[in-house]
Amino acid sequence: MDRRTFLSYNAAVAAIPVVGSALTTFGETATAATRPEPIDFTSNLPASGGFPDRWICGSPSCMDNTDPPVHVHWYNAHTAILRQNKAYSFEAPFAPLYFGNDRVLLLDEGFTQLRNDWDLRGIVDECIEDWCARNGRDPDRLELLVAFSHLHADHYAAVNQFADRPNTRYMGLTHEEMVGFWGMTNFPEERVTLDLGGRDILIWGSPGHVVSEFAYYDSYTQILYTGDMFYRGRCYITYWEPWYDSMKRLIDFVDTHPVTHVMGCHVEISKDDEDYPYGLTYQPNEAPVQMTVQQLREAFAYAQTITEPGIYFTGTVFLCNQTRSTTTIDTNPYRYA
Amino acid sequence: MSQASTQNINPTFAGNGDLDLGYNPVGARNTDSAVPLHPKESVKHDYNTAGPAAGKLAFRWTYGSNVAAKNRDPRVQVVQYNEDTFVLRQNVCVHWEAPFTYLLFGNKGALLIDSGATANAQHYPLRDTVDKIIARWGQARERSKVPLTVALTSGEDVAQNQGLVQFAGRPDTTIVPTPFDVMKQYYGFRKSWPSRRSAIDLGDRVIEVIPTPGTHKDGVTFYDPYCQILFTGDFLYPGKINISNDRDYIVSLKTLKAFATDRSPKWILGGHVEMMFVPGKYYPRFANHKPYERILQMEPALIDEALQYAREVQGKDMMLIRPDFALFNGVSPDQRTQVWPEGVPKINPPHPF
Repeated sequence: MDRRTFLSYNAAVAAIPVVGSALTTFGETATAATRPEPIDFTSNLPASGGFPDRWICGSPSCMDNTDPPVHVHWYNAHTAILRQNKAYSFEAPFAPLYFGNDRVLLLDEGFTQLRNDWDLRGIVDECIEDWCARNGRDPDRLELLVAFSHLHADHYAAVNQFADRPNTRYMGLTHEEMVGFWGMTNFPEERVTLDLGGRDILIWGSPGHVVSEFAYYDSYTQILYTGDMFYRGRCYITYWEPWYDSMKRLIDFVDTHPVTHVMGCHVEISKDDEDYPYGLTYQPNEAPVQMTVQQLREAFAYAQTITEPGIYFTGTVFLCNQTRSTTTIDTNPYRYA
Repeated sequence: MSQASTQNINPTFAGNGDLDLGYNPVGARNTDSAVPLHPKESVKHDYNTAGPAAGKLAFRWTYGSNVAAKNRDPRVQVVQYNEDTFVLRQNVCVHWEAPFTYLLFGNKGALLIDSGATANAQHYPLRDTVDKIIARWGQARERSKVPLTVALTSGEDVAQNQGLVQFAGRPDTTIVPTPFDVMKQYYGFRKSWPSRRSAIDLGDRVIEVIPTPGTHKDGVTFYDPYCQILFTGDFLYPGKINISNDRDYIVSLKTLKAFATDRSPKWILGGHVEMMFVPGKYYPRFANHKPYERILQMEPALIDEALQYAREVQGKDMMLIRPDFALFNGVSPDQRTQVWPEGVPKINPPHPF
């Protein structure tokens, strides 16, 4: 008997004085009574949902920014997407929160460490409480999995905020721990299934931006989450061949699975395909975070023509092939002859 | 002594002082205030000095914060160099360029060099701050009218010309025109650009205007003979210097070198700080948190160094790191290099986050 069952068992004894049954039965009855019908995550797919027309995207003066530190958008009733405010960090990563009957998956975190800088943990807790209230669940029973797409600080820095959270498991900060967290033995080819309780998340390796990176596919919304390996902005490709193989794996996946949206971790490009330089804290005309499967295919087709390091624009994203430590897209606007 | 009265005992201008306060607290008597008790006429300051006028930049510049949205530093930091010279800095969390703006006073008027990177007066109340400084300075010197000239080190530089709109319509104010041709006409350069110099007379303090194109085609450097300071803007500053025309840049550096040999300035004050306090390291563009900045002031010997290394990058698309600045010629302002200058210690500064 775990602590949770023990507590509800006592409550049941106090509330329902039934004579002649074994005490354990009370516990189970009580538990069954408080547990609502499981949510069906497998029919009428893909689950409908929507992205906001405009995410919060910083402000001309950072210290005059009045937006919340993170924009919480409910894609649908069982899926939230978090996006950090650019005035809290220029990285402004996105972080999906997938709810299942038994557990919740937080994919990536904002770029923050201290809860008094801004409280990601509190916001995630709030989302979980909201969802539980709407669906008649007990937030304490829901396990939280804190995972991230890859091993960069703007995706994992907040993990310590969850260190003392009950009923929570989080990914370790080494390649071995990350791969082990999903029980993979053959990274990156192996595809594993995470069951959130009726809601399957498919996970496989997607290296290229860094060595330790994963792609996540949610079978309920059918969103393919590609992390920093493919996003609406500058895909910094550190290792070309692993990246190309990962793209091929994504293409093979979309050939065989229905995908509604391809979604990355950042947006660094405007609606007019203008590059927002690295570090910018105000992106008033930024492109949407979600991309279509067609855009992914086009990028792959473009990538097949690339043979040299350099910066290439596929029509959707910039492929920065091994240029991270050398140069960028923008130029000195004041040059004259 | 009560808490309230302790806050009011400093009757003088202090760096970072509250400009809303008067010179003297209400009811103060027998202070050593700069304001004469029974003024008869306005004070005429003697700007003739043997050597540079005394002054100091004793305060640490505000440097933004890790979470820019939560920064509560002053939007314009005011540091008084001496009685007639003020250095203003824009808050790093209002604009990452965090430009420096200089306010100089003479017997006939004041000069504001540069105007900051933000037009919105709510975010960056430059005009308001300048008005208050001028009002208090006028109070001390018994002048009700202090004509103001606003001049830019470069009219095209959006990190320095944005605050200009705040001064539109200000009484007793002359704004040096920003379009290149009109600016040349204003200073009387016409055909003599960039070989001749011009001047702005503040009344016994004549600020010299030296054409220094190179980082901006309309770049000028100001020289204050009273404090013996060169105000170089984007042309030479402890940061990432984006050379826009390397030929002009070298010619202007030679001009500046000849000028410096002649006048031996005490300091060079640029428009920004981007270097860290360890040699050769700098903050990236758009950074809102720069706790380990290098100091603003540069020794005149840096002109020679800049000239030497500008010659090295001339005609090449490359960047070059020096301990106190970095030169970018024909490359992206975010260019990186693996080349580290020889003989310069490579120190990793502490990482705030």
